Amino acid sequence: MLLAFGNFTADPSVNLQLLIGGLALGAIYAVVALGFVLVYKSTDVLNLAHGEFLMLGAYFALTFLISENLNFFLGVFVLLLVMLVFGLLVHYGIMRRMVGQGFFAIVLITLGIATIIRALLLIFYGPTERARLDLLPQGSFEVGGATVRYVDLIIFGVVAACVLLFFLFFKYTRLGLHMRAVADDIEAAAAMGIDPDKVYAMTWAAAMVMAGIGGLLFGHVTGAIDRSIEAIGLRAFPAAVVGGLTSLGGSIVGGLVVGVIEQFANGHLGTKWREPVAFSVMFVVLLVRPTGLWGRKDLERV
Amino acid sequence: MTAVENPASQQDSTTYRPSPVQRFLPFAIAAAVPFILGSTTENVNFWWKALITVVVLAVVARMAWVWTPRGELTHREDMRLWRTPSDRSWAAVTTFGLLVLPFILASDFTPPMDFPWATWFAVVNLVLIFAMGAAAFNLLVGYSGQISLAHVAFLALGSIVGGIVGVQWSGGNMWVALPAAALAGAVVGAISGLPALRLKHLYLLLATFGFHFVMMLVWREYLQEYFGFVGIRFKGENSPRIASWLHWLPGIDPDDNGEFIITGQFRWYWVLMPITVLSILFMVNVVRTREGRAFAAVRDRDVSASLLGINVARSKLLAFALSSAVVSMSGVLASFYIGSRGEDSFNVQTVLNYAIIIVVGGFSSIQGAIFGSAFFWFLPEWFKWAREELWIVRDIDFLSDYPSEIDLAIKGFLVVIILMFKPDGLAGLWKDVKGWISRSLARRGP
Repeated sequence: MLLAFGNFTADPSVNLQLLIGGLALGAIYAVVALGFVLVYKSTDVLNLAHGEFLMLGAYFALTFLISENLNFFLGVFVLLLVMLVFGLLVHYGIMRRMVGQGFFAIVLITLGIATIIRALLLIFYGPTERARLDLLPQGSFEVGGATVRYVDLIIFGVVAACVLLFFLFFKYTRLGLHMRAVADDIEAAAAMGIDPDKVYAMTWAAAMVMAGIGGLLFGHVTGAIDRSIEAIGLRAFPAAVVGGLTSLGGSIVGGLVVGVIEQFANGHLGTKWREPVAFSVMFVVLLVRPTGLWGRKDLERV
Repeated sequence: MTAVENPASQQDSTTYRPSPVQRFLPFAIAAAVPFILGSTTENVNFWWKALITVVVLAVVARMAWVWTPRGELTHREDMRLWRTPSDRSWAAVTTFGLLVLPFILASDFTPPMDFPWATWFAVVNLVLIFAMGAAAFNLLVGYSGQISLAHVAFLALGSIVGGIVGVQWSGGNMWVALPAAALAGAVVGAISGLPALRLKHLYLLLATFGFHFVMMLVWREYLQEYFGFVGIRFKGENSPRIASWLHWLPGIDPDDNGEFIITGQFRWYWVLMPITVLSILFMVNVVRTREGRAFAAVRDRDVSASLLGINVARSKLLAFALSSAVVSMSGVLASFYIGSRGEDSFNVQTVLNYAIIIVVGGFSSIQGAIFGSAFFWFLPEWFKWAREELWIVRDIDFLSDYPSEIDLAIKGFLVVIILMFKPDGLAGLWKDVKGWISRSLARRGP
């Protein structure tokens, strides 16, 4: 039976627990969606490799924070620095030559990058799964019969801080202004003396740093760190779309909305309904309002 | 002053027209010789057969080359699929090659340096199935410009139809399941194409990706309802077979129990090859019709296309329906060929594999889909051989420690390198090689 609405419950504490779980999941989606949005907003590239970037971040976090046993802050600093260098590599090595190519060619090249990252991680780290990270506080507290983990609160705080930071960055710094200008019209921006190459490089670096933060955070809530955690990249698509692919704040709202909907589908309908429901929500949003809740609308000239 | 007849220009404009016999003789020879060679498998030395093959190839190509209409072409001749001498030669050689290939692969020949021979037949059959699916994918994504990631959803649809019509209703009748899957694929494909009327590029990609997940849910539900954990078995008692009233056909010797079950690589080849060739020819011809040109016009600019009088909605939905019908058929073939389909037979990685195939082969070229799938399946075989046998390479421990990972890395690097430096892929490379050969063969002008 396709429409078996099993184990529906009206128990408030169960629903509260689902709500809290959904918000926690939504915070993770928001982290990932923020990475998409950053790249899409400034370079118009749909980055299908973001899940792999995140996986890279999680594995580097394992190396620097667990294997090398660095001090937490030093380790995070090194992690983000390495990710930044990788972002510059992605831009100057590959993406730079793809500017001006067709839309699908660029999507496919991010797919190629994703494949390379997956293969290299398999070679250097092997297929065995690792225990999840445990550097952030692990405890939890009770609210009205539902459990709230500290990690989820921290993730939430970090995402909010990142969005605020990027918002201020885009609004008040010179580089942020350049990024907005290039996103708006690359030729006009170049004519005004802005170097789009540099701006794109900075965008990829920022997205990679965001993926590093995301990997570090997601490494704390995932079941285990193995090569299947890249799937979070695809699962966060609905969040990015619902919020609007060009809106930083939208990624938070979209993440939370999709996270809660998914968690309720998971709790009331069963695990198999999680992805179909999330993608159906995305589908409806696409049909009704393709630019998402807060996306930028583009006019097309013929 | 009266116009003076120029004998040279008169000679140039003399038109040469081959007779109908001349037009089809190369193809007839190309089709007949492999069977003659194949029926004498035991008696003749392999090298003699190889020699005959090469000679026949040369003769067939030469005949096709010479007997091509020249001079002023009529519109009808100009519109032919194999128009130029080189097109016709390649078509004749390919026909010959496709027909002679199974006999070569079935013979117990050991190539030098232990190049693996036995595994190649399975790879060739997989290439046939994948070429069909990839060509349909390319028709939709490359040629019509409708970005869709719902490819695997239609492979799953093919398996569902194969399961319902081919296994549950008829107990292994693939011949009924194929048209049923084409019909179901066309209808569901047109439905899945509905978002294309409103969305483009990125948003269409995401919407079709949503369709992928919905279809995966349907697939899992169907499996659980009727087949449970083990998945659908398309082999054993459900293997496709040739009906008994067709056993008089040449080359069909029923087994001991009086049935002719399609099993083993050799028999499968003769099922898969015609279906794949016909569906690819169908798609090659579709893009040459009015509808096919409308696909390209809609891809380039849909607003301009609508101003030219093209029904954009119809064109988009037709592209989705055609592509999905062929993909669903390839899904049925793959299910019956592989023999079982379970819960994890379809995943996102398969979509990505098809994307890799069409990029490496050559974007928006149906020929490229064939090259791409051949490359995709032969690469692991070549690499395995190189790892075990090739001089120097076999001594590198690193390679034999991480075989599948390095395969994956090679595929990823190839996609990146091809997109960066050779966007038209292997098909473009092949075109370059052909151009280079014909330029070096061409007589230098006076």
